[in-house]
Amino acid sequence: MAEQHSTSLTQLATRYIPPWKSPYIIGIAGFSGSGKTTVAQKIIQEINEPWTVLLSLDNFYRPLTKEQSDMAFVNEWDLDRPEAIDMDMIYDCIKSLKEGKKTKIPVYSFAKHARTGQYITIYGANVIIIEGLYTLYNPDLLKFMDCKVYVDTDLDICYTRRLLRDMAERGRDLSGIIKQWDSFVKPNSVRNVRPTMQNADVIIPRGSDNTIAMDFLIEHIRRQLDAKSAEHLVQLKALGNEIRPIDLSKVHVLPSNNQIKVIKTILLNRDTLNDDFIFYFNRVASTLITHALDFVEYVPHLDDPPQPVITPTGAVVKDTIFIKNEIIAVDIIRAGDCFIPSLKKIIPGVKVGKLLIQSDSRTGEPHLHTEKLPDLNKNCNVLLFDAQIISGAAATMAIKVLIDYGVQESNVIMCSYLASETGVRRITNAFPEITVVAATLSHSNHSLKEVDHDTDSWMANRFIDSRYFGTD
Amino acid sequence: MTEVYHNIFKLRLSNQLRCLYTIIRDEKTSRADFVFYSDRIIRLLVEEGLNQLPVKSKTILTPTGSTYHGFEFEGKICGVSIIRAGESMEQGLRACCRSVRLGKILIQRDEETALPKLFYVKLPTDISKRYVLLLDPLLATGGSACMAIDVLKQKGVSEDRIIFLNVLASPEGIEVFRSKYPKIKVITGMVDDGLNEHKYVIPGVGDFGDRYYCI
Repeated sequence: MAEQHSTSLTQLATRYIPPWKSPYIIGIAGFSGSGKTTVAQKIIQEINEPWTVLLSLDNFYRPLTKEQSDMAFVNEWDLDRPEAIDMDMIYDCIKSLKEGKKTKIPVYSFAKHARTGQYITIYGANVIIIEGLYTLYNPDLLKFMDCKVYVDTDLDICYTRRLLRDMAERGRDLSGIIKQWDSFVKPNSVRNVRPTMQNADVIIPRGSDNTIAMDFLIEHIRRQLDAKSAEHLVQLKALGNEIRPIDLSKVHVLPSNNQIKVIKTILLNRDTLNDDFIFYFNRVASTLITHALDFVEYVPHLDDPPQPVITPTGAVVKDTIFIKNEIIAVDIIRAGDCFIPSLKKIIPGVKVGKLLIQSDSRTGEPHLHTEKLPDLNKNCNVLLFDAQIISGAAATMAIKVLIDYGVQESNVIMCSYLASETGVRRITNAFPEITVVAATLSHSNHSLKEVDHDTDSWMANRFIDSRYFGTD
Repeated sequence: MTEVYHNIFKLRLSNQLRCLYTIIRDEKTSRADFVFYSDRIIRLLVEEGLNQLPVKSKTILTPTGSTYHGFEFEGKICGVSIIRAGESMEQGLRACCRSVRLGKILIQRDEETALPKLFYVKLPTDISKRYVLLLDPLLATGGSACMAIDVLKQKGVSEDRIIFLNVLASPEGIEVFRSKYPKIKVITGMVDDGLNEHKYVIPGVGDFGDRYYCI
């Protein structure tokens, strides 16, 4: 028993599953005009999760032929039957989202009854809300959903809402709307939509106006998300366990020479002027970046066949060496931004990707808010920047994003000015192949707020970016 | 950094450094690239040069109010460049020490005697109280460097306060420093094979000043 426990801890301590690898998926179904979108918006507003995606099944309408499209414009084509939407495509997309992959959702044009060829890309979502007539229709889709909601609004109310909406917002004529309702919308609602109510976990009579039902639903979702957060934190904490010593061939600390020692004193001194702080941070950043560049892949020749390198004196250079692949920088906003001025002086045209990862002030759980990255592939060398590694949680999450984008783990070089040992261990336990370069490695224990107590020292506080940007 | 002989230091031969030298050695490298990549090497040399300066302990308060036992530099410095190629290293020094004083020495080869001749000297008045970073990117025969050092010594700078920075050295030049100025620290990026009949470093980078300023 005890042995089993320790095995599971070891396993826990060597993998990292970010929140988007198990997104919480909510499905909302109901008649047209029942208030599905309003319910979804209410949920989004109330749970206030940083990365929530609302996905409408309207995006998955099958493209129509010219004839079908002409019929649709005179309300003679049935757009309300289940076959009008591409269930296979929905299945593939939702499956991909459930697995945490970067997923492309087609954009559908109702004006042309065709896909526009454009896509919405969804990645990193913690909560996904799917809404549509047939959300709860297909049994294969149901198994991806953590919470299935049916909005049960009286069909008469739906009808009036639809009349008003179609006239006001879509500029359609009354007789057309009535024709469509009688021939397609109503029969499909009764025959195909209503029976899916039995697949729901929660039925909300009258929609979002039903505050009691909404409160119950939101309370339930919140509890589920809290449990998910707690699991994420436990996993992050376990990554800090000392299951193996830090691999010094992968973690490089700048040699502690006079320059590094003096600059550290200047940067830690609270009486240092902002002007000096920026100047000296840039200086040490430049040393760090140069050091980090030692760990990218070099080759003796770039040309095929190899061309000799000749000096102006006519001598052949024997020891030639070049950087093999493109170097791309990715910084974690905002502390990583402190490195960019120095980086641009070393690699002027470097592409810079940005990630916004913020820690929940209550629990310390990191959340991915934004990712804007250049094209990445397995050959790219990525320099990942964050001025401080404290708990290591944000960096761990950032590295996972890079790997999801196709970067090879061994091609990631994490650059940081101050790093705590616990933080570095978290990163290297989760990603043993990556390289870490830091100016200072602190041996004291600093960790996630909730999990361990924070020590009030200069190491455990994010001060570099606020001093660098002058916002403290 | 490695100390190859007493007081003779060479930058650590990292992949990064080898790559920078591959670029500046190549005759096909454009002037813009030559300047850019030489500047990067110069920056590394300056950092290492400054590392040779003495420090003393200093206790400060951190933003969170705790005390931290750190260090500060002791003593004042100045840069002295040998015109014209040495001036290419001034910017690198000022990138690390913003308002550092810069002295200049012009030494040229006398066309009649083929020996170096001193044309011009302008140095900070209190230079004898400062650590001097002497700047010249190439150490070939060591003729002009020796003359510059003699000027500095005449102004009262002691040998152990001179740090000579250069991008590329010849074994002959290194030998001159070892025998003549054992107390001067020399920091070089790389030591090449030797000198050709025109006293150019081989394989070298060609004429550093010309490539940095003119060609």
